[in-house]
Amino acid sequence: MKAPFAKFSPFQVDPDKIMETFGIEDGDFSKASDNEKESMVEMHKSISYWKDAWRRFRSNTVSMVALFVFLVCLFFAFIGPYLIPYNYADQYRTSQKLGPFEYSEDEQTARLAEGVGDGFFATALRPGSITALDPGEYYLKSGRTSYVFTLDTLTENVIIVLDKNSAEPLKLYTEDAVKKGAWDNYTVLPCTNTPSENAVRLTLTKKVFPHVFGTDSSGRDLMARTMYGARVSIIIGVVAALIVLVIGSLYGSISGLAGGPVDFVMMRIVELIYSIPEVLIVLLLQVVLKDPLQAWFQAHSETSAFVRAMSDLGAGIVSIFITFAVLYWVTMARIIRGQVLMLKKQEYVTAATALGASNGRIITKHLLPNCIGPLVITTCLQIPSAIFLESFLSFLGLGVSAPMASLGSLCSDALQTITLYPYRLVFPAIVLTIIVLTLNLVGDGLRDALDPRLKK
Amino acid sequence: MEENKTLLKIEDLKVSFFTPAGEVKAVDGISYTLGYNEVMGIVGESGSGKSVEAYSVIGLLQNPGKVIGGSIEFEGEDLLAFTPEQMRQFRGNKVSMIFQNPMTCLNPVYTIGDQLTEVLNCHDNDISKKEAKERAIEMLKLVGINNPEKRMKQYPHELSGGMRQRAMIAMALICSPKLLIADEPTTALDVTIQAQILELMKDLQKKENTSIIFITHNLGVVAEICDRVSVMYAGRIVEQGKVNDIFYNPQHPYTQKLLASIPRLDEETTERLVPIEGTPIDLLNPPQGCNFGPRCSECMKICLRKKPPFAEVGDGHISACWLHFKDMIDKKEAEKDE
Amino acid sequence: MASYILKRVAGSILILLLIMVVTFFLMNAVPGSPFLTEKSTPEQIANANAKYGLDKPLYIQLWNYIRNYLKGDLGVSLKMQEGTPVKDIIFHQGKFLLSIKLGLYALLLAIIVGIPLGCLAAYFRGSWLDGALRVITTVGVAIPGFVLAALLLIAFSVKLNIFPTKSGNLPDFKSYVLPVVSLSSYYTCYIAKLMRTSMLDAINQDYIRTARAKGVKTGGIILKHALRNSLIPVITYLGPVTAGIITGSFVIESTFSIPGLGKYFVQCVTSRDYPVIMATTVVLSALVIVMMLVVDIVYKIVDPRITLTAKED
Repeated sequence: MKAPFAKFSPFQVDPDKIMETFGIEDGDFSKASDNEKESMVEMHKSISYWKDAWRRFRSNTVSMVALFVFLVCLFFAFIGPYLIPYNYADQYRTSQKLGPFEYSEDEQTARLAEGVGDGFFATALRPGSITALDPGEYYLKSGRTSYVFTLDTLTENVIIVLDKNSAEPLKLYTEDAVKKGAWDNYTVLPCTNTPSENAVRLTLTKKVFPHVFGTDSSGRDLMARTMYGARVSIIIGVVAALIVLVIGSLYGSISGLAGGPVDFVMMRIVELIYSIPEVLIVLLLQVVLKDPLQAWFQAHSETSAFVRAMSDLGAGIVSIFITFAVLYWVTMARIIRGQVLMLKKQEYVTAATALGASNGRIITKHLLPNCIGPLVITTCLQIPSAIFLESFLSFLGLGVSAPMASLGSLCSDALQTITLYPYRLVFPAIVLTIIVLTLNLVGDGLRDALDPRLKK
Repeated sequence: MEENKTLLKIEDLKVSFFTPAGEVKAVDGISYTLGYNEVMGIVGESGSGKSVEAYSVIGLLQNPGKVIGGSIEFEGEDLLAFTPEQMRQFRGNKVSMIFQNPMTCLNPVYTIGDQLTEVLNCHDNDISKKEAKERAIEMLKLVGINNPEKRMKQYPHELSGGMRQRAMIAMALICSPKLLIADEPTTALDVTIQAQILELMKDLQKKENTSIIFITHNLGVVAEICDRVSVMYAGRIVEQGKVNDIFYNPQHPYTQKLLASIPRLDEETTERLVPIEGTPIDLLNPPQGCNFGPRCSECMKICLRKKPPFAEVGDGHISACWLHFKDMIDKKEAEKDE
Repeated sequence: MASYILKRVAGSILILLLIMVVTFFLMNAVPGSPFLTEKSTPEQIANANAKYGLDKPLYIQLWNYIRNYLKGDLGVSLKMQEGTPVKDIIFHQGKFLLSIKLGLYALLLAIIVGIPLGCLAAYFRGSWLDGALRVITTVGVAIPGFVLAALLLIAFSVKLNIFPTKSGNLPDFKSYVLPVVSLSSYYTCYIAKLMRTSMLDAINQDYIRTARAKGVKTGGIILKHALRNSLIPVITYLGPVTAGIITGSFVIESTFSIPGLGKYFVQCVTSRDYPVIMATTVVLSALVIVMMLVVDIVYKIVDPRITLTAKED
């Protein structure tokens, strides 16, 4: 269509003035080339779904921080136990009921050696104050600090350690005296800080790692137990969520895809399970499954690696898994069914069907990729709920059994002595809360990042 | 329809959305006036800023949208200086609005009657329940809903789409506003219903003496109902004029393309429909020159450098394109040569 | 409406029957007998089994349960309070009432506090108040009830000595505070979060824009137009809340030494007191099912689009 410019009735304006007012240059009214036109338009780069999702997730500060903290928790739970010298099950008889960063006397004396480096001299004392000493460990106290040392060889004279920079006399004790706790009743041995010919090099004892969270009544290190408990809780959460994912998404997608009477019956079953107060059944299941599971473990653990792995986890945990497999998949099934039903109605699916695409192709190419968002989100949010359930059961004395620990069982144990040792509850409770909190926040972030409805 | 006085006067209105990605100039300096009893059509593709402009008139702009310049005068009063409470009393009373999707625009949990009488209660504290109800029933009758007493007690989901839009219109007109803003009121409806609703609006406009700003992307609807038309592209008005001028004598290349892209039934034609090439510009980074430049087949060098001013191309017919100025200069030069 | 309720009640009874059957088989799936102790001789066990009818085939035992329940007879306790009728244990010893009171107050607290908090957060979205509420509610849904209970116990009962450490039979207001707060905290926070989301969702709906265009006052927009619509998801959540609060009461009752039904149930399960397990399961399930029915009816009242007779997904 050619522009009917002939009809144009101009302003009564001098064209030269127009040129001036708008600063029009010669040649401005010549046609622009396509290249010039294109250079004016900034085209959007198209980004893939996952890249876009990741970009949105990354821009969500709260979720990123939560993800980082959760990774720290994972490190704490899975790498942590290899970094500390204590084991979740070992009982240190002399280290019972210690508070955070407290040491038993044994450890205290052992720890004293930490401050002593190699640059110490041992000098001979005045002969006659103490006779021969056997090789072994000895403890020294100077003012408020104490040292321990080992004698390598039988010595005639008593050896004493001196700080290079301090002229203060040190006290010398034998091992027995220290164990009796009779520090001050022992002989004070004055000495000089002049290195003598008889000086003997001293070997120092091992370093002692602090009980950061304290110990429990049986002398088990609580940090080791908390790490272990966090690991157990996380494993339970993840496995349970995966079980829910598999069963729920299979059930939901079959129901949604099949439609008709199959869908009707399957959904009535879901509704039925929905209206059963699950925890009552869970409690019963826990008790019921315990013995048969143990029997099963014993019968098959020789032959099957799977059963052996299960029996390592213990009957309590395995029955939690079974519980999830039996009762907790309904939410996931509902979500996936809803998603499938919605997607089935989408035009592109109809178009694919009209083009003769097979069911398998429609499922793998159209339905699954579009279900992944809700799948990931629901699974992620299922983990904390599984951790909650486990801690709840452990709290009631079901779930894991000692010496195994989970965050829930640690909290439950701590509750017995809450008035005396409140910190025993505080540490596992904080770890539990942080794990659940960060998972929730990561899940929320994922939802915001993956939900295409929010895409703008 | 003679426009004797100015009802609404918009001058150099600028509305921006402040998004995390940057400032989006949704409306970038538009001006027009609207007389009493006049129906103005605002046409443009989606994202051209036509709804945003209307929302700023009725004070419904939501964060992050903000009027950043210009003025809106309604019967001589500066709307932008109104307090929120003044604005609230103004809305629904002197200016009201109907929206695109009648399916979602009525609150699903209240009856039609509730929602109709609510408008009256909001603007007239003294009105009695009975009066309000009578007025609502009267309005429902007026918009052609039969059995209005029964409809009053029904919920929106019990009504058909066309019926709901009628109820929306009744709701908008119940306080006899001077100006009705209709934001794509027929787009979501079936074609037959569309025609009915348009007919109804035309009727009511005459009966109630209401001015209408009719926002649509459908040029056929514009031809049906409007007195004057503004064509918007990327936040600016590109051409404005009487409906006949716009349809039969379009001046701006965008308007021409727009008209060429719709099927005409009134003319015997063998011409193919011509789509407008390219995509609308990114309002986050608007071009330096004419917004339509990059898509325009007539594009000149100046078009990429500078935004074109308006040229008066007819009686009340203006168009913003450098081509007019080029013509002007060419003509002048031709005269000189002679 | 009436026919719908009738249908639902019939369905509920069916579900209860099913729960009875499941519970029965679960109870009996544990090998051995409830009377098996270290001292007991096989004869004693056999006698006890015969006395309580546990020697009969399973289907007869199950039938007896169902028949007696239909008659309103819940049987007698086998172990915990041997010989006492279960009905007395649950209803007359105050256990049921205690749990109901605790649960009801927790539910009310969650609703009364959670909904306004959610509305406030949504209305002042982006403000410091919204931020603060978001932190509180997010942390709130990450702390298990029993942990919170224990922490409150340390802070307010042990250290500050404001509330009693053992709430017992809930004699006064003070004894209610900690159990109710720790039982409802998760749900209060969850409802507040849910309310905020659905309120924001409602505020962005077209009908809110219509209401604004009509010139409705801000208060009217929030309280009339947005609130009722945004309550719908919260109401659907109340069914699971009831179940959750009953569950939560199990641990809260043992933390605060409240002799309620929840605590008793856990003891029964571990000591395998069959009739009490059965009765408690049925009573608590009935409670949840009744609550779900109530929720559905309230749902219908709030949302006229729901037709109770033809329920669609």
